[in-house]
Amino acid sequence: MIAIIRSEWLKMRTTAVPWVLTGIALVINGLLILVYFVNHGSGGGGGGGGGGGGPDAGTFGVPDYPHTTQQLRNLLGSGFTGYLLALLLGVLCITTEFRHKTVTTTLLVTPRRAQFVAGKLITSAILGALLAVIMLVATLLGGGLTLTAQGGSFTDLLRQVPAVAPGMILVFALFAILGVGIGSLLTNQVAAIIVVLGWFIIVESILVGLVNSAEKWVPTGAATAASNLTRGMGSRFGLFPWWQGGLLILGYGLFFAVVGSLVLTQRDIT
Amino acid sequence: MPAAIEVRQLSKDFGSVRAVDDLSFEVVSGRVTGFLGPNGSGKTTTLRILLGLVSASSGTATFGGRPYAQLGDPVRHVGAVLEATSFHPSRRAEDHLKAVAIGAGIPISRVDQTLELVGLGDVARRRVGKFSMGMRQRLQLATALLGDPEILILDEPSNGLDPQGIQWLRTFIRHQASLGHAVLVSSHLLSEMEETVDDVVIVSHGRLVLQTTLAELAGRAGTRTGLRIRSPELPRLIALLDAIPVAYRQVAHDVLAIDGASPEWFGPFAAQHQIVLYELVNERGSLEEVFLSLTHGFDATDPRLAGGEAAPAGYAPVGPGPVQMPGGAT
Repeated sequence: MIAIIRSEWLKMRTTAVPWVLTGIALVINGLLILVYFVNHGSGGGGGGGGGGGGPDAGTFGVPDYPHTTQQLRNLLGSGFTGYLLALLLGVLCITTEFRHKTVTTTLLVTPRRAQFVAGKLITSAILGALLAVIMLVATLLGGGLTLTAQGGSFTDLLRQVPAVAPGMILVFALFAILGVGIGSLLTNQVAAIIVVLGWFIIVESILVGLVNSAEKWVPTGAATAASNLTRGMGSRFGLFPWWQGGLLILGYGLFFAVVGSLVLTQRDIT
Repeated sequence: MPAAIEVRQLSKDFGSVRAVDDLSFEVVSGRVTGFLGPNGSGKTTTLRILLGLVSASSGTATFGGRPYAQLGDPVRHVGAVLEATSFHPSRRAEDHLKAVAIGAGIPISRVDQTLELVGLGDVARRRVGKFSMGMRQRLQLATALLGDPEILILDEPSNGLDPQGIQWLRTFIRHQASLGHAVLVSSHLLSEMEETVDDVVIVSHGRLVLQTTLAELAGRAGTRTGLRIRSPELPRLIALLDAIPVAYRQVAHDVLAIDGASPEWFGPFAAQHQIVLYELVNERGSLEEVFLSLTHGFDATDPRLAGGEAAPAGYAPVGPGPVQMPGGAT
């Protein structure tokens, strides 16, 4: 299995897909950091000069200080929307094989279809987690620098990592798994992308709009719960605890992956 | 010695279409077996079933008794070049091979070796999207050879190769057989394979027509004679021939082959009906003709032959030609 994952890793690395998706995620991340500082930046310079040290940790949490713990967590989680790109990464990881007919060669190396899907699941999960880490590092650098320049404390931001990072990495990895699951069931790349984007942009919001209680069950609600962030659209009431949200996404992902590999096992590769 | 490849009573239905029908044959080591039949006769489907890409409706297809998926290290035992396989266009040739090597646990050093072997050493770092048909075919072959397998399966491998490439491929295939490897190579043209194969497995409509040695097939060819006629008045000639019991085959828009006929019969016949001839060639039967008559000359993708004029009545069965020649000695 390690050989298959290394092979998948090389295949992903040698196509444009992960680089482009990471690029898009970074751009969105940067914009959201910018939005954060536009909203919260005005009072931040109150500390005076551009000194690197800024106010000491003791000032943190004082009511008139603009950055509360929750705000800092939201800042650190700026890259969170990138989980949709992790999902696409998973979808593309498997559908590209069918689009470019490379699946024949892959299945000659890995004739057992379940093993083939498992290799994709694990590789995509690793890539998804890596994408989350890249987002976090980029935010720490970009957000941290801006924060420091405005007299805030980089250490305070860094202190939020244990609260934000695990949920974010988990959600990215799980959504990559979900993507592979969907892609294994819907091997037509264009169709799979349309279905995925259609669901997250249109269907889900209509569904939640009609049935409010559905919010905690849909993938976005589960992701928001699992992220441990309050960012996220709509009501934040009635979401699952973070671990249940994570399990829910994992459940969706594995459901599609199992059904997908079963369908794939029956499928003739012509 | 057990057969390297064994196909037993294999059948495959795609919906209501039976692509492979109760097909059985064997391929032994150290010999090149030509898997021959017209386009659409089930060759590719059979090969894909062998390689576990397509599931069989019934029957078995095994390597030394084991199906492909149960070979453990399949790429080290079986190398395959299949049609409708492709590469990711933005991946470099060497990266494509590295991915296969890593996945199959083959030393990375084999990548450069096989690229050199197929003559792609200079373009190893070029993206496959920029490759020509012939280069892709060579890269496919490199992929098949990566694991130094003792069984090679090649589906129409000369497609897209230039004449030098085809010559190189022949030498290569013969060399593989001389190493004691089993080679199964499919083609819709026997003439392309005449110099390469030892054994032939001929299929038509998914069914086995004949499994024999090339030598035996050549023996059959020697007993066949016929005429090749080029004429601007082919439609009129065909109308005349339809009235008498004679087997003919339209080879091109102005060329007709008449099995078993002699110039001594046809010359006077043409004169009598005042048919203009551009060419009249007395032919000793070629292997290709035996092959075509064995497979009923039916090519599913050839509209000319699939059309009405290729009525089965127009074809003679394998054997010593037409039954009677009115007005002429045969």
